[in-house]
Amino acid sequence: MNDWQPKILAILCTWCSYAGADLAGVSRIQYPPNIRVVKVPCSGRVDPLFIMKSLQSGYDGILVSGCHPGDCHYMSGNFVARRRFAVLKPLLEFIGIEPDRVQFSWVSAGEGERFAQVVTKVTEDVKKLGPAKRLVKQV
Amino acid sequence: MNIQQELRDAARKLLAEGGVDQIIGWSSGSLPMSSTPLFAATKEEADDLIFDATCGSNLTVYFTKDRRQIARDGKKSGVVVKGCDARSIVLNLKENQIKRDDVVIIGVPCDGIIDRSKVEDKTGGREVLEFSDNGKNISVKGRGFDIDIPRTEVLSDSCISCVHPDAGMSDIFIGEPRGEQKTKDQYLSVEQFEELSAEERWERTKQEYSKCIRCYACRNVCPSCYCNECFVDQNDPQWIGKTLDLSDTIIFHVIRNLHVAGRCVECGSCERACPMDIRLLLLNRKVAKEVAERFGMETGVDPDAKPAMSDFREGEKQDFIMG
Amino acid sequence: MIRLEKDGFKNFIEELIAEYAVFAPVMKDGKHMFGNISSVEDIDSSRLNTEMSPKEIFFPHSEVLFEYDEDGIRVADGEKKPIAVWGMRGCDARSLRMLDKVFGGDGERPDNIKFEDPYWERRYGDSLIFSVACNEPLSTCFCNWFDSGPHDSAGADIFVVDIGDAFLMDAVSGKGEEFLKGLSGSGKASEKDKKKAAVIAEEAVSLLGKKTDLGELNDKLKGLFHKPIWDSVSAKCVNCGACSFTCSTCHCFDIQDESRKGRGKRVRIWDACMFPIFTKEASGHNPRSLSKERVRQRVMHKYSYFVDNHGEFLCTGCGRCISVCPVNLDIREVIREVLAS
Repeated sequence: MNDWQPKILAILCTWCSYAGADLAGVSRIQYPPNIRVVKVPCSGRVDPLFIMKSLQSGYDGILVSGCHPGDCHYMSGNFVARRRFAVLKPLLEFIGIEPDRVQFSWVSAGEGERFAQVVTKVTEDVKKLGPAKRLVKQV
Repeated sequence: MNIQQELRDAARKLLAEGGVDQIIGWSSGSLPMSSTPLFAATKEEADDLIFDATCGSNLTVYFTKDRRQIARDGKKSGVVVKGCDARSIVLNLKENQIKRDDVVIIGVPCDGIIDRSKVEDKTGGREVLEFSDNGKNISVKGRGFDIDIPRTEVLSDSCISCVHPDAGMSDIFIGEPRGEQKTKDQYLSVEQFEELSAEERWERTKQEYSKCIRCYACRNVCPSCYCNECFVDQNDPQWIGKTLDLSDTIIFHVIRNLHVAGRCVECGSCERACPMDIRLLLLNRKVAKEVAERFGMETGVDPDAKPAMSDFREGEKQDFIMG
Repeated sequence: MIRLEKDGFKNFIEELIAEYAVFAPVMKDGKHMFGNISSVEDIDSSRLNTEMSPKEIFFPHSEVLFEYDEDGIRVADGEKKPIAVWGMRGCDARSLRMLDKVFGGDGERPDNIKFEDPYWERRYGDSLIFSVACNEPLSTCFCNWFDSGPHDSAGADIFVVDIGDAFLMDAVSGKGEEFLKGLSGSGKASEKDKKKAAVIAEEAVSLLGKKTDLGELNDKLKGLFHKPIWDSVSAKCVNCGACSFTCSTCHCFDIQDESRKGRGKRVRIWDACMFPIFTKEASGHNPRSLSKERVRQRVMHKYSYFVDNHGEFLCTGCGRCISVCPVNLDIREVIREVLAS
């Protein structure tokens, strides 16, 4: 499985992390091409159902990224999101989903370099885990 | 005077003088070891009220969802609540599902609720025809058996680790409060499960939830689950499949758990309602543990506190965020 | 009537398994239900009624009707062997006859529409049902209300009575007769055996609760559609599907398409009139938006509409809905309330 490439869904808030990804691009910073990006208005928009659905439809990893605490364009969206993830992540681990499958980060619009690092780290982590099997729906 | 009589007297008085239209409580069920919700509108009906270890259903559910027909706006209802049920009332008041003026809260001290499926295990599936409870043991009789079982062995999981057996918020309290129960191992079952390997946890999860038949009894008896349209019932777009596909079933239960995160009072109604005896509460209790540890909150205990998931503190622990 | 010694039961089941896909009561994850067995040890007869009804053998919760991909459409194959069910109760055997009126080709309907459901037919059509008489009915049993009883053989191919040291078997249908002819290791039941069975049957009947006469039920219900009785009847119902899903006669279903990237399947799943979405229309309007309307539908379908269409109640009195209901909404009390109104 050496040439196996994971598929990773990156759900990015439009104000910070998506702009951070943009900056990484225009700065020509290299990062693994394994992510598929979905832009959301705010990390507070991310319903845990999005994450479960993505795992179900076969994504090997999921990255959710928003503005740093205190930087939210909508003042408190990422604080609310943080509470949600604080419960979702342990719960997913509790039922037996590998901890590294679903990851969260804060990346600002100025952190192109950091965005690349985050994506590299997530991709490496998921590569170590191998293809997702649990929760994947067979149709 | 015993609790039952005191309860009936209080209900009669409320109906006669308290301007209350109905008392929502329990009466004896049609089966041994069962109770059934009672909506008493007259003094005579109030005489059927009971409270014992079979009164498991959380009656707050009749204030929410389309069951608002029963406890609808402008109709004043008295409701009999155990400690956990009272927490549901507090939550629903905070979430504007109940108007304080529409409800008279009648608290009762709870010694724990009997889990029928645990009793069935003890009798080897033989039918219980007679049941009695002396506070320490229950005794069950049927054809060819007559056994005494220590209460602790047949109590609902939710009751074994219960901290708040008395109604925290009540207008009338019947009987002697039991006081807060200090159980050191409040989250013992969760901790034991956490110690298993990820593979083992996943196997157990699969085994447990493969029993689910998607009847939604867990959701429908839950007073915290009152969406007008549940996400599993949405079909445009349809979020999750409705077949017995295991991933769909697990997602339903995980998301339901997250929807009641910081809102679940751990009354155990879901678990007792489940026709397949799925140990549903384990996930709820995991979430409750996280909410307690991270946010220092317990649902429905502080009437002024916002539900955990609608609130935040800026400097909160964020160990799960990538460094 | 044939007598099969209990010593020979293992042999009997093995012979059955050789020819049939055999289903019998088993204990699966702590729940008593029907399962496909591979040996006599799998059978668990510790409880009288299985917690899930045997309708799921013939009408499973999720049934793939067909699958498709770029190469075309495929209908899943049926089971290779015909189905035999050991240990069904009389009520459940009768429930299959009722379902056969809906799904089978021979259903008698006033509108004379004949429809045969191939998925039902290929399982039920050549199945062999052994119904085992109930010697100790439960307090939730009310089969006597429907002019049946714990030793009713209706609906079975072969009717079995457990007389302690042996099983007495009697052919009820032609299929059953054929089977018993070829059965090895059995003898004829003696007069003494038959007497013993009769005594057991009498005792079993005496254990049932008092019968309620349902003669006027359909007529009563017809006049009650718009009456306020449904407010009180439905008050405690929380609208879950536990009763419908454990019911041996509830048969409403929904069709779901599950697809992904060029392939998919169409699945038939159980549905229940208790769910708000059951009648929700594309416009968003729901003709049965209230709980009482849905409870009324369930009662009406069982005790009125089905009677009009098929000449019998869509209920066998198995009592599963009573023992499973989270709020103890006892259908017997509902019927009594309707009759008393």
